[in-house]
Amino acid sequence: MSRIGTGAARAPRPIGRMRATLSPVAQFRLQGSKVLAVDMTGDAVKARNGSMVAYTGQMNFKKLSGGGEGLRGMVARRLTGEQMVVMEVKGQGTCYFAERATEVNLVRLNGEALFVEADNLLCTEATLHTGTSFTGLHGAASGNGLFTTKVEGHGWAAVMSDGPAIILRVSQGMPLRVDPGAYIAHTGNLNRNFRSGAGFSTFFGEGGGEAMQIEFVGDGLVYVQPSERVTVGGDV
Amino acid sequence: MSYPPQPPPYGQPGYPPQQGYPPQQGYPPQQGYPPQQGYPPPQGGYPPPQPQQYGGPQAPLPQTAVGGPVVHDAHTLPANDNVNPYAFSVDLNGQYFLQKGKMVAYYGNIQFHGIGHGPLDQLVGRSFHSPLHAADWVVAEGQGRMILADRAFDLNSYDLEDGNLTVRSGNLLAFDPSLSLKQSIIPGFLTLIGTGKFVAASNGPVHFVEPPVRVDPQALVGWADCPSPCHHYDHSYMRGVLGGIRQLTGLGGVSGEEHQFEFIGAGQVLLQSSEKLMAEINTGHVPNEAGIPGAGAPSHTPQQYGGQQLPNVNIPGLGNLGDLGRRFGL
Repeated sequence: MSRIGTGAARAPRPIGRMRATLSPVAQFRLQGSKVLAVDMTGDAVKARNGSMVAYTGQMNFKKLSGGGEGLRGMVARRLTGEQMVVMEVKGQGTCYFAERATEVNLVRLNGEALFVEADNLLCTEATLHTGTSFTGLHGAASGNGLFTTKVEGHGWAAVMSDGPAIILRVSQGMPLRVDPGAYIAHTGNLNRNFRSGAGFSTFFGEGGGEAMQIEFVGDGLVYVQPSERVTVGGDV
Repeated sequence: MSYPPQPPPYGQPGYPPQQGYPPQQGYPPQQGYPPQQGYPPPQGGYPPPQPQQYGGPQAPLPQTAVGGPVVHDAHTLPANDNVNPYAFSVDLNGQYFLQKGKMVAYYGNIQFHGIGHGPLDQLVGRSFHSPLHAADWVVAEGQGRMILADRAFDLNSYDLEDGNLTVRSGNLLAFDPSLSLKQSIIPGFLTLIGTGKFVAASNGPVHFVEPPVRVDPQALVGWADCPSPCHHYDHSYMRGVLGGIRQLTGLGGVSGEEHQFEFIGAGQVLLQSSEKLMAEINTGHVPNEAGIPGAGAPSHTPQQYGGQQLPNVNIPGLGNLGDLGRRFGL
């Protein structure tokens, strides 16, 4: 189960345990709800290109590209269109990240995978592996794209949302249906099905308005934002 | 609904009606409406439009004991209350009207029907009296918890008890079918009548103000009771030829605040804390008869963000043929 932090009042994290690890670990914290502050001691994070708003200390910024490392990643990026231009930030001090005043949500990963829309990923620890995963057919229909970004490993990831994200649990017997435009991320062992409520009537002007839905079945958490980005499915 | 004449709100001495509103003493800012924090509960004994108090920024989000944010599931989602200031959870057991595209997620077994289907005819007839903009609305039917949100705007729910509330068309998100929705005579506004709950969005938290009050048109979300919404113009320096030029051209400076809406009488006026308007949605055509404001035309320019609005075919002499055009997506 992932430990997730957001908002102002987070209970004190077991910092001692984290500090005890051998390699330096970037400390993610929220400065308000819309700015991510990362304390670094010589280690690196990967952040959305251009999302740095301020830093103290010594920082180096190096442009990378998302979609996975190496040649394979590059090909994958070309094929999938899940473009994510990232930069590697390395140094000593505190670096502040923000993007268009969207809310920042911290997600702690302990070995499991976080699936997130590339547009919503703000920053990850460099130790986390990012790649691209095929999401099935829902993306094509919803306009989110056929692929989402998969973040895996141990460490913190910061996910952006338009308005504070709502975290919804999915468990056996309690499936969740989500508007594609409001979906931002999920963790856990979840199956995604694309559900179409569109029928004859949709195309005759009496549609239900919520024709495209993603159904999540299994065990896990789904992050939704209180807002709907414009999708091809849109308002049908 | 009627209610007894009320004492002047906020402990004011009242506005002397015989003097009109002399600007220098009419609205003393120091005692009139003190800067308020959050959502002030309506004072002066006017019960109906109670916002569900969700504390806004000053109330911390509910946290679990372990730290980290709340993880909701079908059982812990609030029933007919805000999840956070921007999302509202409906405990659906039956039917609910909502604007197209405002459902974010749901648990349970819920179907979304466009208005106009056969099985819903009775419900629509009972609760939906503005049929020509039905294309913007859907009925959610079933059991479950449903989360509503609208572009991360502030959401509030309001309980009406045998009351009435008129709200800007773009701000109304959803309502209980025990309420009935009607077009307001004032173009661009919708009126809800009856007993029940509805959800409205606003740009920034909603504030309640009691008349007599003049409000900026862009800040107005709606009003309850107050039978006299009217325009007010500050014409004092718009006199004469120069004043006319100034008003027409803006040359010489206009403050942009010369025009207000004025409310007098008993009731509540709802204001949003910004002057950024939400996109209007079409409230539908009104019959083309003499004496009807905005007759024969859509009450407002088509929306940009609301649900999709299909064109309506209006054949002179035949009307719109029972809305056939919309039904067939013409």
